[in-house]
Amino acid sequence: MGLPKFNYVAPETVQEACQILEKLGGQAKVMAGGTDLLIKMKHGALRPKTIVGLRKIKELRKISFRKNQGLFIGAMALLEEVASHPKVKKLYPAVAYAASQTATVQIRNMGTVVGNICNAAPSADNIPSLMAFGAELIIASPNGERRILLENFFKGPGEVNLNRGELVKGVLVPPPPEGSGVSYQFISQRSKVDIAAVCVAAMVVIDKGRTRDVKIVLGAVAPTPIRALEAEGLLRGKKLADRSIQKAAEQASQEARPITDMRATSEYRRLMVAVLTKRALLEARQMALAS
Amino acid sequence: MMHKISIKVNGDLYVLSVEPWKTLNQVLREDLNLTGTKLGCGTGDCGACTVLVDGRSVTSCLTLAVEMDGKEILTVEGLAPAGEELHPIQRAFVEKGAIQCGYCTPGMELSALYLLKNNPSPSEAEIREALSGNLCRCTGYNKIVEAVQWAAKELKAEKSKSTRSK
Amino acid sequence: MREFSVVGKDIPRPDAWLKATGKAVYTDDIKLPGMLYGKLLRSPLPHARIVNIDVSKAQALPGVKCVITGQDIPKVKYGNWRLFPATQDEYALAIDKVRFVGDEVAAVAAIDPDIAAEALQLIEVEYEELPPVFDIESALKEGAPVIHEESPNNVSVTRKIEYGDVEEGFSKADYVREDTFTVHAVSHAYLEPCSTVAQCDLDGRITLWTSTQTPYIIQCLLASTLEMRENDVRVIKPYVGGGFGGKMELRPWEFCAAFMAKLTGRPVKFTLTREEELATGRRRHPMVIYSKVGFKKDGTLVAKDLKISLDGGGYNSMGPTATFLCGNFGAMLYRYPNYRFFGQHVYTNKPPAGAMRGFGAPQSLFATETQMNMAAEELGIDPIELRIKNAMVEGDVIPDVATISSCGFIDSLKEAARMSNWKKKRKSLAPGEGIGVGCYSFISGGVFNWFNTQYPFSAAEVRVFSDGTAHLLTMASDIGQGSDTALKQILAEELGLEMKDIRVTSADTAVTPQADLGTWGSRVTLMAGNAVIDAAKKIKEKLFGAVSARFNLNVIYDMECKGGRVYAKGRPDRGMSFGEAVAMVQKAQRGEPLVARGYYTPRGKGLVTPAFSFGAQVAHVAVDQETGKVEVKKIWTAHDCGTVINPMAAEGQLEGSIHMALGYALSEQFVMDKGKTLNTTFLDYKIPAAMDMPQSKSAIVDTYEPEGPMGAKEVGEGLVSPTAPAIAEAVYHATGYRCKDLPITPEKILKGLRDTKKRKRKRS
Ligand SMILES: Cc1cc2nc3c(=O)[nH]c(=O)nc-3n(C[C@H](O)[C@H](O)[C@H](O)COP(=O)(O)OP(=O)(O)OC[C@H]3O[C@@H](n4cnc5c(N)ncnc54)[C@H](O)[C@@H]3O)c2cc1C
Ligand code: FES
Ligand code: FES
Repeated sequence: MGLPKFNYVAPETVQEACQILEKLGGQAKVMAGGTDLLIKMKHGALRPKTIVGLRKIKELRKISFRKNQGLFIGAMALLEEVASHPKVKKLYPAVAYAASQTATVQIRNMGTVVGNICNAAPSADNIPSLMAFGAELIIASPNGERRILLENFFKGPGEVNLNRGELVKGVLVPPPPEGSGVSYQFISQRSKVDIAAVCVAAMVVIDKGRTRDVKIVLGAVAPTPIRALEAEGLLRGKKLADRSIQKAAEQASQEARPITDMRATSEYRRLMVAVLTKRALLEARQMALAS
Repeated sequence: MMHKISIKVNGDLYVLSVEPWKTLNQVLREDLNLTGTKLGCGTGDCGACTVLVDGRSVTSCLTLAVEMDGKEILTVEGLAPAGEELHPIQRAFVEKGAIQCGYCTPGMELSALYLLKNNPSPSEAEIREALSGNLCRCTGYNKIVEAVQWAAKELKAEKSKSTRSK
Repeated sequence: MREFSVVGKDIPRPDAWLKATGKAVYTDDIKLPGMLYGKLLRSPLPHARIVNIDVSKAQALPGVKCVITGQDIPKVKYGNWRLFPATQDEYALAIDKVRFVGDEVAAVAAIDPDIAAEALQLIEVEYEELPPVFDIESALKEGAPVIHEESPNNVSVTRKIEYGDVEEGFSKADYVREDTFTVHAVSHAYLEPCSTVAQCDLDGRITLWTSTQTPYIIQCLLASTLEMRENDVRVIKPYVGGGFGGKMELRPWEFCAAFMAKLTGRPVKFTLTREEELATGRRRHPMVIYSKVGFKKDGTLVAKDLKISLDGGGYNSMGPTATFLCGNFGAMLYRYPNYRFFGQHVYTNKPPAGAMRGFGAPQSLFATETQMNMAAEELGIDPIELRIKNAMVEGDVIPDVATISSCGFIDSLKEAARMSNWKKKRKSLAPGEGIGVGCYSFISGGVFNWFNTQYPFSAAEVRVFSDGTAHLLTMASDIGQGSDTALKQILAEELGLEMKDIRVTSADTAVTPQADLGTWGSRVTLMAGNAVIDAAKKIKEKLFGAVSARFNLNVIYDMECKGGRVYAKGRPDRGMSFGEAVAMVQKAQRGEPLVARGYYTPRGKGLVTPAFSFGAQVAHVAVDQETGKVEVKKIWTAHDCGTVINPMAAEGQLEGSIHMALGYALSEQFVMDKGKTLNTTFLDYKIPAAMDMPQSKSAIVDTYEPEGPMGAKEVGEGLVSPTAPAIAEAVYHATGYRCKDLPITPEKILKGLRDTKKRKRKRS
């Protein structure tokens, strides 16, 4: 399958990139690894006139951790680099795990976590756990930077809150709170190597036996990844007993708005939300208690 | 617009003009006549087009050639060490019956090389995981997994031999 | 058993190192000077009349050298059932109508593939939509849209088999069950997309390099569709990246490449995209299988009534053969004293189904084997015991179908039970785990000559040289299964040479001896193997004569070729090296080289095949009771393939079959919407990955097939059948969910689990 024709530019700074994007507007597309973008172009779903490659912007490849600020994953950090980064593995195991379960070795050597986010697929593997950690995006534009909570970034499948001239510089993940645990669970029906039919991340913070904070994020069951707010409400401030986990899981399944597609029917997805939410909460609880 | 790139493929330097929409796979196969790298799908799913770029395994069908400027690329044609017919991984694939139609073989071998460079003693599960970006319709993978296990042993033996002789 | 030196050994394939180093040349690797690139325009509609095609804009695009439509080509239909011209229902490019989404309508050749693709967009086709049908039931309804005028009821082929008295049989049965099974379409998913390069030489002859399993069939059908003489078409098979039945017919791109090469005087290449392959390619037949079987209380089978409807898609393709074979497979494995089969091949507006590994057996045997498992449960007999009770044995005759000349079925069943620890596991597995059995029998090549070849079924030419080497020429086609290696092994064994002493030239219709029907139906080892032996025997006679004259041997001496020498048996000193013996013959012939041709055509072997393989397989699964996901943990196989020519290769065929059958059972499926295939990438058409593959243990049951070369039978196809029923039974054992409609999905299992719970609650 051939690619349609386009121009290619590779700016060397974020500033320069933003200026190009500002000038070209909708006719240009940012490219990180290209593993989503080029496929969409091959299938004819996208036909940008210009591709703005981020490869030459050295600072974007960075992954760093600072105790008070947390983890920064630059826009060009590869999935594989995130998956194998010692600090990420230790302090954000669900983030490393999600990255390590995305696609295949080769695609992880090309694709990025930020690309996975910006592609805004409802099934994206890396979004739920980052949302559960309360991650923010750092967005650059010709006039400076802004921050946005990851969960406010998505408008619909493939649609995100970015204005003309803007690009995502990276994700900032706050330091994990004391007594917290985050688990990522996903299921695909057909193979161990597959796009998720349903994915769920759960974060709990346990303080003196009570659930001080909880987040449940559901993927692939709505136009964007969503929080199961009512299910969270059932747990907040309570003891995290098996029974309440089961109840919350059932509630989450009610909050899901799944569709039927090639990968699963809506009924199956709904059932799986309950199963995966339960498993995620159980694992998160275990991690929280062990921390 | 054409872009000028210089790439090193299997140690040889090439300076080329490429259109931005050409993939590395097209440049290797069509411009450089290195047809050992295959094309099974063109969408990153099958791994038949796998090559190493600066030591990392990637699918060449989803890699833009313009982005390869200044990179070192290893294809199946460059796998065997200078002066030898076969790399131990290739020998293992031949000896262990890991090759039937052979269409997946070049990509499989490069994925195996990438794995063994990063993890010289992988478990069976790690091998299966590392090869899961490479589809094979003929062998059922088991013989390929055996070949990789065998190659890992060979490579380690070679390494300890060469360190001892130093 | 005979002692062998080369046969029966784990010999690495001589072509493997070419493939390991990337040097093996496949069709798409070929580039010729001045070559043009072709692309096909396909129908976006499932059923429509072509009102008008305007190619003027495409033709005007700079770089476009040739555009053709159905109006430009000879009006010659083709199809592999040449013996019955009425079944030949396809034109290379649609002339009047399109019959499926993807039907080829026009072709472009340009100086660059991007330009060819652009030109396709400029072709304007005006269609008049016709009502489509997408399934067997609607296609058979009174007043259904007619897909081919020649088949007003949409049924193109029917087949009946009947022996014994089925009604009487059922009247004597203590237990009768009737079930309807449905099985789905799957893709061959060979890794190398179809590709072809055609060249026209100065005197107008065509050379075609093409990714095919059947060079001879392509040669003949290409000649007839181009209205050329057969001998003016040369077909060469380069290395082929898998076929599995999907590359055994003349296809539109082969015709278009040759036709446009003639028109332009330049070589033309076509290579399909994976998207084209998955969206429009041939597939395994979906079937609706009604089966009624009757047993005595003790488990003895008394009768079977089988009715199969095949969903053929828009054209016959290999459907007639599948219709014929699924009825034969229905009669295999067990002794049915009374048997009746009715099969019909039904047109629908979907991509045509064709031949695919197993050729009717995976579908038919899924029904047979699942029904055996269901019956075993109801009769209260262990499923393996029930099978042993009814199993075919050597010497059994199935009227109209076959005579079983060697059969290791019972031994296979016993061995599979032993290896898997069946008895114990059946009783004491962890909750959520299960174990199940499935069996197969398969043909070693077809006896039927629907292609109407005027040549022997297989041929081989052996040339020997005074330097001690030999050259084997054969039209048999190695598509990755390793036939070049197996045939080389057989020749090495016969002539007492080593593998390295033999050069093989295969599958070039202008060079290798006429003819060979190609690689399908597991025919190559047996048929081409026998042809090689025939040629080798002729060579040996000459060599024996020369050596015998040289040593003035008594005529009663037995002679042999072994270890590179030719000598009197038991008297190695009375002999000479192979090369010296060849030189002597050549001298005696006054310089004429020593060459012999061998042939094989099965005669007097019934209507189906000269020999059958058999086997039994046990699968162990674990099912996640909450998600319904199945993990196949291990598979044990015991099979009878006669003498094993190359154990490593045989195991490779087994493991490859398990892979394919695992996909068939669990993960592979076309998602269709109004005749359009939606999952057109490997991301969504899910063939199992390395992580999905279970461990496999196997044993080969010792038999010797008198009709096979050195006792060998098939090993490449039959093994693809037992896995799906074995997994289905294991899933039933684990969950109580019984699958009668493939594939087995987590969703069906969860529903099954809920139903089982309900049933249990009701009971208690
Ligand atoms: C074979 C295969 C398997 C896959 N399997 C999975 C899987 O299991 N799970 C999964 O979640 N995904 C999967 N994917 C999808 C894809 O690989 C991932 O989404 C990947 O993380 C995308 O990263 P990228 O850098 O390649 O993104 P790109 O393709 O470069 O970009 C994706 C989109 O984001 C935009 N974009 C990228 N970076 C920025 C930025 N910094 N600022 C603004 N916009 C930006 C681009 O314009 C584009 O629209 C798979 C893809 C393939 C080919
Ligand atoms: S050809 Fe690149 S992954 Fe299949
Ligand atoms: S050997 Fe044929 S695809 Fe792997």
